[in-house]
Amino acid sequence: MVPTKIEDLFIQLKTDFSGTILEIEAGKFVADQLVPKNSIYELCPFLEASLEDLPLHEVYHLNTMLIVVDTIEYNVDLELIRAIHDVSILIHDRSSVYKHVSQLNQNRNDLILLKRELDLKNTELENLKIIAEKANEEKSRFLAVMSHEIRNPLNSILGYSEMIATEAEELSIIRYANFLTRAGKNLRVIVDDILDLSRIEAGRLELIEESISIKEVIENCVNDFRFQLKGGDLAIQLIEENTLPKFIDGDAVRITQILSNLINNAIKFTQKGIISIGIAVISEDESISTIRFYVNDTGRGMTQDQIKTIFREYEQTQARDQHNKGGAGLGLSIVKRLTEAMKGLVTVESTVNVGTKFSVDIPFRRTHLDSVEYVKSEELVTIDLIGKEILLVDDDRLNLTIMDHVLSKEGCALTLVGDGQDALELLKTKRFDAVILDINMPRMTGEELMRKNDLFTEYNKETPFIALTGNTGKTDQDRYVVLGFFNVLSKPYTFVKLIDTLKKAIYKA
Amino acid sequence: MVSKKVLLVGNFGVGKTSLIRRFVLNEFSEDYISTIGVRVSKKIVEFENQQVKLIIWDVAGTTGNEKVPKAYFLGASSAMLVFDVSRVETYLHLEDYVQTIKELSKLKEVTIVGNKKDLLTTDELEKVIDKINVKVDLVTSAKEDDNVEEAFVMLAKESIK
Repeated sequence: MVPTKIEDLFIQLKTDFSGTILEIEAGKFVADQLVPKNSIYELCPFLEASLEDLPLHEVYHLNTMLIVVDTIEYNVDLELIRAIHDVSILIHDRSSVYKHVSQLNQNRNDLILLKRELDLKNTELENLKIIAEKANEEKSRFLAVMSHEIRNPLNSILGYSEMIATEAEELSIIRYANFLTRAGKNLRVIVDDILDLSRIEAGRLELIEESISIKEVIENCVNDFRFQLKGGDLAIQLIEENTLPKFIDGDAVRITQILSNLINNAIKFTQKGIISIGIAVISEDESISTIRFYVNDTGRGMTQDQIKTIFREYEQTQARDQHNKGGAGLGLSIVKRLTEAMKGLVTVESTVNVGTKFSVDIPFRRTHLDSVEYVKSEELVTIDLIGKEILLVDDDRLNLTIMDHVLSKEGCALTLVGDGQDALELLKTKRFDAVILDINMPRMTGEELMRKNDLFTEYNKETPFIALTGNTGKTDQDRYVVLGFFNVLSKPYTFVKLIDTLKKAIYKA
Repeated sequence: MVSKKVLLVGNFGVGKTSLIRRFVLNEFSEDYISTIGVRVSKKIVEFENQQVKLIIWDVAGTTGNEKVPKAYFLGASSAMLVFDVSRVETYLHLEDYVQTIKELSKLKEVTIVGNKKDLLTTDELEKVIDKINVKVDLVTSAKEDDNVEEAFVMLAKESIK
């Protein structure tokens, strides 16, 4: 007796080897075709061409077969036993079970296919990333080369304009020369910004960690601007809110760059009034002092929407003003990136028609430096260059002339040569107090000359060498130090920088 | 007329069901519905002045790790191993797959068909075929009805050998 509840779930029958149903032994299936004399192949086409091959008296299982009844599919499992004259077939309806299996199967396969698509997309993205990185590297390389090429003529422009401004007697000529100097300096800032941004993007920004007087760095930077703004409607003031650590580990050039960009930005957008530069220690622990620099202007200010975009590259004209205020629009972007590279934070508060305040908080490690190791700017003033034997080596006649002019005024005894080979011959026979050596020169480069330093130890073993170069990357500069250079003078340089660098070298020597 | 049971096996998603639908019903669908269990279709194939009724078993696709149940091969006269020319994992271990089928089915030959040729260029297709270390009998496209009939005729011929 078969329980009613499972009547439709199975059927047991017998067929001959041609598939004709001989008798229904038990159960009932949903299909009416499963009656004696009908062919089982009508409902179970998968049995066709198989029955005769069944092994004798063995239970043979066929699982997960599909039967279609009135367009409805049923999943069935079959048990087949072949006797000598017939075949016993037991059909179990497993639709309810396989319905879930089917869904799981579909899900699994879909997941595998999706994963594959994802893998392909990832590979594609990886390839695109490599292409983009390569393009970016090419761009950075191009910019670095171009910037280097621009620095040399820019050095001459700035040098000669400074010379004219210093020596001219006619006021209009001095004014024009000052305009020329200002334009040249703006161009230098743009070149530096582009080069720095390309370095940052390429992940090649290298910060120098050296003991510096943060107070002096800030004061020097502010004094430069104070000089520029002299006699105008705009004043600049420095507020030191509390006592700063005497020395910290930091990158003076980059700190100056951050502050200069912020001050430049304030000047651009403030017609008249006061630009306040503040500096304060906002927190301290055993070894770290977090120092805040802020630049507060009384300019036209910004809306909240403008603030959102100001740190993007090339954004300044649209974001801040309809007028083009000059520059490449990279200054604030570089401020942000440099600050972040120093593990700091830059914030901005602004009110339209009231003013803007940029704050930069950077943590610095405090250092204790022996005062003998550190030469303060005011101490440099007392160092005398009169009568010092200086060898100037540069293939660029314009640069050589500028250095000659500036250092002659300081009373130096100068010897000028155009390449490393001529310099080598002189160094073998004459002692110099310092050598300013260009890097890229024909016949023998500055680097090649330094590698031959054992040839001139008799007279110049202790002589400080200053590398003169447009290669401003830290990797290049580190290499020069390893080669034995005392210091590096980057082109374009100011007269003050040239004299200070030379004084420091002689003082240390 | 002689009836012959033939099997289509291969990894999931290679287009076994699509090949059968194209061959039996001349239909094609872009939807992918995973086959669970065995679906059987019939079609009469004519070649060399004879007719063969093919009982075509569309066996659920595997993921590469599972074996097709041995019971499915009972009475099978020939088998077609289908792979997807655009999916490397479906033809990476073809040689092993062929060997397994031969062991389970006791068939001497297995017809090897690369489907979805429409997804590759001629050059790409040549590179794929070069990579495979077993002889590929035909490359097909169920979508574009390319070489489908030929693949089943080949299977039918193999079934009456």
